[in-house]
Amino acid sequence: MTLYSLPIWSIDLIGSTLMIVYSFLCLHIVRKLRNRDRNNVIWTYLLLVCIGLSCFAISRSAGHILKQVLVISGHGSVWAPIQPFSGAINTLTFVFVGAVTLFFERIWKIYRQILKDKQTLQSTRDELLYLNQNLESLITERTEELARSEHNYRRIFEVSRDMIVVTSRSGSILNINPAGYQILGYDRSEASFVGKPIAGFLASETDWQVVKASIEDKGFVSNVEIELLHRDQRYIHSLLSGSLDSGPSGHEPMIHFLIKDIENRRLIEEQIAQADKLASIGQLSAGIAHEINNPLGIILGYTQLLIRDEKQNSERLQDLKTIEKQVRNCKTIVEDLLNFSRTSPAREDLIRIDEAIEDVLKFVQQHADLDRIEIRKKYDPRAPEMLLDEKKIKQVFMNLIMNAKHAIGDTGVLSLSTRYHIAERQIEISIADNGYGIEKKNLSRIFDPFFTTKTTGEGTGLGLSVSYGIIKNHGGEILVESRAGKGSTFTILLPVMASSREVSDVRFHSHSR
Amino acid sequence: MRTWRSTIGWTVFLTVFFGTQPALATQGHGGIEGVYAHQFAHLFFLFAMGSLIYWLRDRGLVRDPGWRMIQYSALFFILWNVDTLLVHALDDQFELIEVQRIGLWKIRLTDAFDHNAVKLVYYIAKLDHLLCVPALVFLYVGLRRLLDRDRPESSAGVPS
Repeated sequence: MTLYSLPIWSIDLIGSTLMIVYSFLCLHIVRKLRNRDRNNVIWTYLLLVCIGLSCFAISRSAGHILKQVLVISGHGSVWAPIQPFSGAINTLTFVFVGAVTLFFERIWKIYRQILKDKQTLQSTRDELLYLNQNLESLITERTEELARSEHNYRRIFEVSRDMIVVTSRSGSILNINPAGYQILGYDRSEASFVGKPIAGFLASETDWQVVKASIEDKGFVSNVEIELLHRDQRYIHSLLSGSLDSGPSGHEPMIHFLIKDIENRRLIEEQIAQADKLASIGQLSAGIAHEINNPLGIILGYTQLLIRDEKQNSERLQDLKTIEKQVRNCKTIVEDLLNFSRTSPAREDLIRIDEAIEDVLKFVQQHADLDRIEIRKKYDPRAPEMLLDEKKIKQVFMNLIMNAKHAIGDTGVLSLSTRYHIAERQIEISIADNGYGIEKKNLSRIFDPFFTTKTTGEGTGLGLSVSYGIIKNHGGEILVESRAGKGSTFTILLPVMASSREVSDVRFHSHSR
Repeated sequence: MRTWRSTIGWTVFLTVFFGTQPALATQGHGGIEGVYAHQFAHLFFLFAMGSLIYWLRDRGLVRDPGWRMIQYSALFFILWNVDTLLVHALDDQFELIEVQRIGLWKIRLTDAFDHNAVKLVYYIAKLDHLLCVPALVFLYVGLRRLLDRDRPESSAGVPS
């Protein structure tokens, strides 16, 4: 088969020339890339590939061109010894290119690792640079922040109304806030609790054992009711919470306690319970009194009818009079119960409190021996006239003064005082004695009907109950403060009313509660 | 003991240097051996280009226009290698084709099978520059695109 050789020659010559040109263009471009970043291994790799290809292009193309020129010029025999040499060079060059190419994956991995390390180094360098440039201001800022934090926590510690105590694990006090000293009744300047065991300020050793066991077991103790021992030996009901703080390494563990004084809350709860109890008793008493009052009236009426028809000095007449007397006593008790239950409406008389007290005092002085009792009076002249049921209010004063006289015995001090609280529009009446006082266990029962510590026949146990009912009926409060052996103080708080409507309003609110 | 060892040493030395036959240690490389070496080199080059395409695709580099062009370049080099393997096989390795010059502008092809298709395949396959030149052109375009990318932080043309 005969074919034209021109296409082969021409493509061979042009192709060989283009190969040389493009291989060098590639080399040129890749050199530019490498010059841009001489540390980039990928560009170095591509440079090696292009060098190999350029060598290959020169070797092969030069060989081909030379061959064609020699053949065309009729010197084909000259090419024969050159051909093996040219072929060997060609082989070597593209083996070189192939060998370099095989390393692409490894080179790429190295490149990525370098890039990653470079970025890490760069970010670390930037961070270091920033820290270096701003170290001083950062330290200052951090120090200020710490100072602020310390100040804030210190303020919490200092101004807290609850006791905050830091102790060692064994319970030895390391720090205690001012409220702690105050709650325990000590002055911070005169006593230091640092180093003392916290157990010494608890009323019961058992309380401390419970707290300690819980902290050792669970690491904390939460809202445990304990009693603190006040400086004056009284107990203060408190809620204690605490937790174990392991602290920074190398430091002894500490226990942080927060102790809340709940004594006032407990007293208020007791007062509420007392008021509820008295209200319930009052309702019961009112019911009974109403039911008994009518039969007593009938008995009294019929007894009086029988007395009218009976002969004088007869034995029967004496018996009937005894019945009449006892029925009247019963009616008095019923009336007292009704007063306690606050069901009978109060009359309105315009009176001065100090005058009412004086009237009662005079009456008592006439009928009882008060000669050896020192009577101290302190009436507030600003106290205005008040709309009160004079008879009942005087009954209250009578009860309280007689109780005081009974508590004092033969000699002692009876203090009577009034004080007008203008802002609250309230009169405070205080009747105090230095008698034998009321035992703590009886304090919650003194307003209960029929409760008395007097011997049988000396009192019915209705005096304070009636007084309580009357004062409540006037919208007021009656309070007692007493310490056994030291005396008692009864304080009556009465609102100053301008009209009967205000009294009714106050009474209504009082009942609502 | 030492004398006995010395005797053995001298015996080995004299046997190696004076008791040898005509040298057979160096193998001759005449004949077609060079053609085989050349063909293996083409196969090696083909394999290297194939692995390059594999890694470029595996690493996702072909999403970048520059590396994609380099991938095409490798593909054309593979085709070129196949082409030259064929030409060398027909021409030099198995000597199935014989080329005779008839004057300046013509050639006569004779093949062992006496089949025109073989001659035509050989004739077309001889135009191998139609494959290797585009391979270099694609390589050039690819490098050019890598250069044009003005992203020093990803100067290797890594797709972001």
